[in-house]
Amino acid sequence: MKLLVCVSKTPETTAKISFSDNNSTFNEAGVQFIMNPYDEWYALVRALELKEAAGGTVTIINVGPAANDTVIRKGLAIGADDAIRVDSEPKSALFVAKQIAEVAKAENYDAIFLGKETIDYNGSEVGAMLAELLDVPYISFGSHLEMNGNVATIARDIEGGVEVAEVETPFVVSSSKGMAEQRIPNMRGIMMAKRKPLKVVPAVECEDFATVVSYSMPAAKSEVKMLDPENMDELVRLLHEEAKVL
Amino acid sequence: MVFEFLKAFFIFGLSKKQTIKMAEKYVSIKNIKFLLNEVFDVASLNRFEYYQDYDKEGINMSLDAAKQIGDTYLFPIYTDMDKNKAYYEDGAVKVHKGLKTAIKTLAEAGWISAHDTYENGGQQMPFVVMNAGLFVFYAANANAAAYAFLSQGASNLIQAFGTAELKSTYVPPMYAGDWQGTMALTEPQAGSSLTDITSSAEETEEGYYKIKGQKIYISGGDHEATENVVHLYLARIKGAAVGTKGISLFVVPKLRNENGRLVSNDVSTAGIFGKMGQKGYVAAHIMAGENDDCRGYLVGEPHRGLSYMFQMMNEARIATGMIANAQATAAYYAALQYATERPQGRHLSKKDPNLPQVLIIEHADVKRMLLFQKAITEGSLSLLLQCSYYADIASVSTGEEKENAHLLLELLTPIAKSYPSEMGIHSVSAGLQCLGGAGYCDDFPLEQYYRDIRVNAIYEGTTGIHGMDLLGRKVMMHSGKAVKLFMAEIQKEIVAAQSSEFLKPFADKLAERLKAIHELTMQLIQVAMNNKPEVFLADATLYLEYFGTITIAWQWLKQGIVADKALQAELPEDDYNFYQSKLHTLRYFFEYEVPKTKALHERLASSDNLTIEMKAEYFM
Repeated sequence: MKLLVCVSKTPETTAKISFSDNNSTFNEAGVQFIMNPYDEWYALVRALELKEAAGGTVTIINVGPAANDTVIRKGLAIGADDAIRVDSEPKSALFVAKQIAEVAKAENYDAIFLGKETIDYNGSEVGAMLAELLDVPYISFGSHLEMNGNVATIARDIEGGVEVAEVETPFVVSSSKGMAEQRIPNMRGIMMAKRKPLKVVPAVECEDFATVVSYSMPAAKSEVKMLDPENMDELVRLLHEEAKVL
Repeated sequence: MVFEFLKAFFIFGLSKKQTIKMAEKYVSIKNIKFLLNEVFDVASLNRFEYYQDYDKEGINMSLDAAKQIGDTYLFPIYTDMDKNKAYYEDGAVKVHKGLKTAIKTLAEAGWISAHDTYENGGQQMPFVVMNAGLFVFYAANANAAAYAFLSQGASNLIQAFGTAELKSTYVPPMYAGDWQGTMALTEPQAGSSLTDITSSAEETEEGYYKIKGQKIYISGGDHEATENVVHLYLARIKGAAVGTKGISLFVVPKLRNENGRLVSNDVSTAGIFGKMGQKGYVAAHIMAGENDDCRGYLVGEPHRGLSYMFQMMNEARIATGMIANAQATAAYYAALQYATERPQGRHLSKKDPNLPQVLIIEHADVKRMLLFQKAITEGSLSLLLQCSYYADIASVSTGEEKENAHLLLELLTPIAKSYPSEMGIHSVSAGLQCLGGAGYCDDFPLEQYYRDIRVNAIYEGTTGIHGMDLLGRKVMMHSGKAVKLFMAEIQKEIVAAQSSEFLKPFADKLAERLKAIHELTMQLIQVAMNNKPEVFLADATLYLEYFGTITIAWQWLKQGIVADKALQAELPEDDYNFYQSKLHTLRYFFEYEVPKTKALHERLASSDNLTIEMKAEYFM
């Protein structure tokens, strides 16, 4: 099987988030970046498991500048065979989908994996756009995937239960928890990663239909209120009116 | 009634939540990367062919992978391994159920074989990177990780001195985490004094030796998390000379291979020791040859066992310092977390009880205790990585560079082992103190860290032994060449720091203390030359403490030079705070720790031989 895994770079989960340019730009200074966990833990690892079971190749693709090579190398260390980086800032979900589609059209992948969303923008848009641009089926939020020949059986968690779908290759699937178990790169993988091919390709033109106007931080958590342990009326009032748990 | 229930629930809920609060952080990867990349520039080791594949990106990725292993397989079982300790039952040693996975994960991730050659299945990883990774594992859970790295030490010994058959039989299963390696030295009558070993080895016509004897305190000596145990066993071949020169080294497996099957090798476990700490880390009492059927396989040449074993012991001494420092580091982060969450008391200038309480980290004395821990642990880590760096240079370079690195490593090994072990105890104690009564209770991990760290000042040579090793042997070896090299290394940092307005006072202070210890050393050597070995070495432990403090001050100056330079640029808030934390901790070390050397100097320079003159009968 010839598999493509889309990986994004996201801020490390404990990074301090701030904005600049009148709150219209995410300030990357001092932020540590990691591979988007949904891409790494579920999409990439399931693709590797399929390759290990049935043979084939796993290629990872990222849209971003050279600074993203560290994240790409980690994917190679975990086990991907090679990588492609589209050399441009990922301006929007459509831009990213368009770049990946351009590469995928020329390569005829059997399946394209990506995480269900990135943990920074939480857009969950690229998968659907990519499938549309490639004119192939799209299964979102896959939590289990089995291949039988060219047919994939994919389970996806839905409200109150599980939906199971079948789809023929080629297809795009976004991956959520349950799809695979996280893999930690071993030393052999880390050392081999730098020897694996990483192809850098230029971006193609893509019209932007939307512009980010501004970002804002969530409201700060309110302070802890200390109550007199004898004042049960006030406790009940707060639980009812403010916490809204009664 | 409802109100009473609610009240009870609310109060219980708050109380319970508070008491089960565990530490979230046990190590700072940012600090390790700072040391490796900015202070030691370890990527430059790739100028040597053996390390040519290591660059900054690969080193950082290795550390991140180590942290993931620590987070996933080691740290989550740290306290549980203590609460569900190892035990002996029906001739078998039962250990925590998570241990097998932990050992196997470390093996499969390539960390046990990391330094070995590609041909042998290793990754030719520099010692300094490998030890940084081990530090992460030990901080996460030294009681689990130590099993895996005992196997590494045993494998190294076989790789260095064993036959091809020994290598192919015993090393791959230890690298794979399937078999456990140990160091079997201590006997009931022979602890620090290995001269008195009585385990015997009798040569047979078949080529192996029949082994008979007992070993005690054997770490990892028997357990069910691996399918076999391989003891690197010191014994005396029958007829060999008395003393250390008659001791040979053998591979003594618990199970031996006969016709492709593992069968008993007549190595049994009499029991395990009930320890103050490290309760998940087995210390076994091993009996070999009770049925006259224990086979040992000679490693290297007869009668050279102790010198071979010392190769492993020097690695183990660095590892012991690393374990102690890792435990103190984890304890520091646990104390820091508590200090940033626990409100108690008010500022002395604002005592109004109507004002909210402040977090305890606002109190100067708590800050002092946290600074003490930070100064000890980050200073010790820097020294341990410095020694690992010297081990790399000594391993792969040639000529004078190799010889100098070897001498510096020899000189600093007793300090790298003892300073983190001794000061780590005080550091964890300060961490425990930050928590007040909660620190003494087992709802928080500090009391476990305090119990666990204590043995490191005893393992692999007590502090007293290392004091005598430093003053009685290392300082004078090669006519004092190692000390001269050490002084020159520090002098380089002093000169570099003197060009900084901020660092100059500290550089000057270090220069003054360096001159003082040099003069003291000359004075003590004169005592030795006057043929008074008892007087010369009576306070060797204090000399070790003095030397250790100077050494850590050097490491702080080294870190300070990098931090001071980094702060010349505009930095993101986190980076700014990180480098400022380095300079503040450097200030602490020079203001609070370095002055203690003056008291040590006064005692060491004194001619009052009171410990020698004190009679046993006076202790009553």
